Amino acid sequence: MAGGTNIPSIEAVCDGVRSRQSSAVELVERSLARIASLEPKLNCLHETLKEHALDRAARIDAAIARGEHVGSLAGVPIVVKDNIATSYGTTTCGSRILENFRSPYDATAIERLEREGAIVVGKANCDEFAMGSSTENSAWGPTRNPWDTSRVPGGSSGGSAAAVAAGYAPAALGSDTGGSIRQPAAHCGVVGVKPSYGRVSRYGLVAFGSSLDQIGPFAHSVRDAALVLQAIAGFDPRDSTTAEIDVPDYLAEIDRPVEGLRIGLPRRFTSPDNDPAVNKAVLDAADEYARLGATIVEDIDLPLTDHGISTYYVIAPAEASSNLARFDGIRYGHRAELAPDEDLFDLYARSRAEGFGPEVQRRIMLGTYVLSSGYYDAYYKRALQVRRLIKQEFDAAFAKCHAILGPTAPTPAFPLGGKADPLSMYLCDVYTVNANIAGICALSLPGGFAEVEDQLLPIGIQLQCRAFDEPTLFRVARMFEAAHLQDRLACPVA
Amino acid sequence: MTTMSPATTTGDRKVARTRLVIGLEVHVELSTRTKMFTRTGNVAHRDHYDAEPNSLVDPVVAALPGVLPVMNRRAVEMAMTVGLALNCTVARFSKWDRKNYFYPDLPKGYQISQYDLPLCGDGALDIPGADGTTKRIGIIRAHLEEDTGKLGHELPGGLRYEGSLVDLNRAGTPLLEIVTQPDFDCADDVVTFAQELRNICRFLGVTDGIMQRGHMRFEPNVNVVVFDGAGQEHRTPIVEVKNLNSFKALRGAIEHEHERQAKQWLEDGRVMGPGAKSTRGWDDERGITVLQREKEDAHDYRYFPDPDLVPVVVDDAWLSRVRAAVPELPMARRARYRSEFGLDEKDAHALVDDPLLCRFYEACVDAVHLRTGSQVPTVHPGFAVAKLLLNAGAKRSNERSLPINELGIAPSQVAAVVVLRDEGVVGPQAADALFGLLCDTDAEAIEVARQNGLVAIRDDAALDRWVTEAIAAQPQAAEDVRAGRTAAIGRLVGQVMKLSGGKADAKAVNEKLRERLGS
Repeated sequence: MAGGTNIPSIEAVCDGVRSRQSSAVELVERSLARIASLEPKLNCLHETLKEHALDRAARIDAAIARGEHVGSLAGVPIVVKDNIATSYGTTTCGSRILENFRSPYDATAIERLEREGAIVVGKANCDEFAMGSSTENSAWGPTRNPWDTSRVPGGSSGGSAAAVAAGYAPAALGSDTGGSIRQPAAHCGVVGVKPSYGRVSRYGLVAFGSSLDQIGPFAHSVRDAALVLQAIAGFDPRDSTTAEIDVPDYLAEIDRPVEGLRIGLPRRFTSPDNDPAVNKAVLDAADEYARLGATIVEDIDLPLTDHGISTYYVIAPAEASSNLARFDGIRYGHRAELAPDEDLFDLYARSRAEGFGPEVQRRIMLGTYVLSSGYYDAYYKRALQVRRLIKQEFDAAFAKCHAILGPTAPTPAFPLGGKADPLSMYLCDVYTVNANIAGICALSLPGGFAEVEDQLLPIGIQLQCRAFDEPTLFRVARMFEAAHLQDRLACPVA
Repeated sequence: MTTMSPATTTGDRKVARTRLVIGLEVHVELSTRTKMFTRTGNVAHRDHYDAEPNSLVDPVVAALPGVLPVMNRRAVEMAMTVGLALNCTVARFSKWDRKNYFYPDLPKGYQISQYDLPLCGDGALDIPGADGTTKRIGIIRAHLEEDTGKLGHELPGGLRYEGSLVDLNRAGTPLLEIVTQPDFDCADDVVTFAQELRNICRFLGVTDGIMQRGHMRFEPNVNVVVFDGAGQEHRTPIVEVKNLNSFKALRGAIEHEHERQAKQWLEDGRVMGPGAKSTRGWDDERGITVLQREKEDAHDYRYFPDPDLVPVVVDDAWLSRVRAAVPELPMARRARYRSEFGLDEKDAHALVDDPLLCRFYEACVDAVHLRTGSQVPTVHPGFAVAKLLLNAGAKRSNERSLPINELGIAPSQVAAVVVLRDEGVVGPQAADALFGLLCDTDAEAIEVARQNGLVAIRDDAALDRWVTEAIAAQPQAAEDVRAGRTAAIGRLVGQVMKLSGGKADAKAVNEKLRERLGS
């Protein structure tokens, strides 16, 4: 059963598989059955990897039967965002330009999940190349929110978030460039973690904004999310931007009470522009932390974070315009049929015009513009300067507190087609982009509900900690979750 | 400085005299085992020279979705050694930038290069100028980047293909780009510089420098200062000639541009200015340059720092380790061979032309020292070995079409011949013959000399007989020597050598003649 308080933890599921009370095949079959029954309604996945998953499950069960060591995620079905390379199935990034593209290699995160015994059961739908906040920008149609199928699940990792909420799998991987894990986690009522930049290898993650992108987990609980991050985190010689810092044991102190911790509550984050239910959830959480013995620090301000969206929409498209140049129709991916009088330029222009959707094209143009000679200094260079200042601002804030509390998104999930103009869509990420800009770690966890048109929609609260302080991030999140687990509701799609 | 002859006139323009101004860009493919940003084999490394098309390709080279570059430290070290050899400052902090443009030989749609913070900068190289002076050529920068793939229209086996074919073997080969100041004023100096640079790079072991394989490619920027005879100077627009991969083409392109630009100026009077830069290619068959692109500012590469790579930080320890590994460079070596060994410039050049030959030569010299110990030979071993290699060795090298260092004779054998010759155990012709024989055997030199009757004869009876015969045959020479005109002794020695079939020990013969003729 998905939703509610009776979801077994991943550790419990693995214990069951290891002790042969259940089996990996059983778990995968249950997952596949759920996918089969709900996919027509939700469209969380671009591809279900039935054969692959059953085959791997049988192997894991056989290994257990032989008494071999299996990892911390033995037999756990996992859904993976379709912009993370897997050597089986397709990796399309929600784009027609990569329709049917099969990667010959696995992302480092996938290798590490599999080393721990996890089983990828499906590739999750997403906004094309992770550009969007609703999963509507997918060449394969939108994903629907399991809490209300007339609404979006958020994005860009909407398929991964909805899949976990709908019980397809206990966990999923997404990618977060400006909020693409946390915002859909908030809208789908699950936990979503954006690790510190450099914590998880990006090798095999199809790049959007290379200096901002991180792979991270979705799960029902903080502890489960920590367990999955534990598996994928760490230095990777194939990604020079991963940190050569040891990965601490995320579960070691996760249940240590928050007493004595200082939690920052910047006033500007509970803006009157937010949905009142969002602000209420944040303030209630602050009260809860105070009750649990933490000190609420209101004396922190992050004024420059107001410039986060503008900074982000220079840096991310700039990097994207270059990252997406490889999709040129020459070596793989969609290639336009040329008329006899057309030349190489037409091949590029037409393949890309046919292959990329409108939002991707818009961002390529934006990025190309801000990097052009004559505009570079005014936009790109300026954005890098602001980025440095935002980082410094966070450093100063973290001198006063251990974690910063705030909303994940300004509103609960909105109806499909509800944000027609790009700018209003961009503003969905107003509270999340700054963590990517500063490279710090952040997560969203269920913080309550909003009642909208007689429907209960989940609200996410966001916690942010300094770079590589995931242990504190999990610990703070875990305390709130422990106190509120009984308030969780079952996802109605169940 | 070259003068066009005679003064040429068109309309109201007149060329009295011209001066060439040339700056050079050189691309050197570094011979690392693996590519610049991935572990796949590098086509510029001799293990992979003849790799099948597209066999040196992995997901990173093909720019598959999701891959990331990882810097090859060895390539950075090689670039640093070249920078140090060119007296550059090695930057303690440099970074990687993306140069964005679309072309089918560029898989990522951008080339990783170094834009505003190159690894090496501000150096100079002294070269012997064509006018006999030493010319100092300024080095603006030397930075690392990755090479592109290749486009072709031929299938393996030579069959023509209608479309374009892409071979990515070369894509990602580490490429060092060296940019000089516009310090050249003639093609000869440019070629000397290019050859010297190739030699340096080969001594540093950063490239095999095989021109036909494109290990080095040159791009001269050429323009001409026209003096019109009326006190005015006119600078013609700068032309960049792309991708020259031989010294002949380099010289040809510069000389052709010299003439062409002066003529062009006569025709249109155009001078240097914004947007007046053009790019030309070299037509090797016709020996002319042809226009490729008129305006340089047509491209906006949208350079920005590559977020997938971390900056290159060179600390003291790394720099001193690299510095310590820089060997003695060709120019210094030639100077040492001249001053210490007494070689002339031509011989010094011949020995330093190839690092393998040079290493072989020095091994031979060391082997002589090992053999003679503290005994001082009459001729400096460096000199004696050089002469032997460049005479007996060069002869065998021609005959067998093999480099001198690959003839099969070992340095210890070369040393033995030199010592035997110095001690007079073998004569000059015998030394040459012995060298030839030792190319095909690893037997001891002295044994081979004995077996082949190459040991000089010092037997008193035999020498006395020949000396008597020689004096009888050349009475005038004998008379001259008796009268104190000792130079004439050479004729008598020659006579003895003739009689002995070249086997008499010349030194012993000399002594006997002097004794006999009382000089």
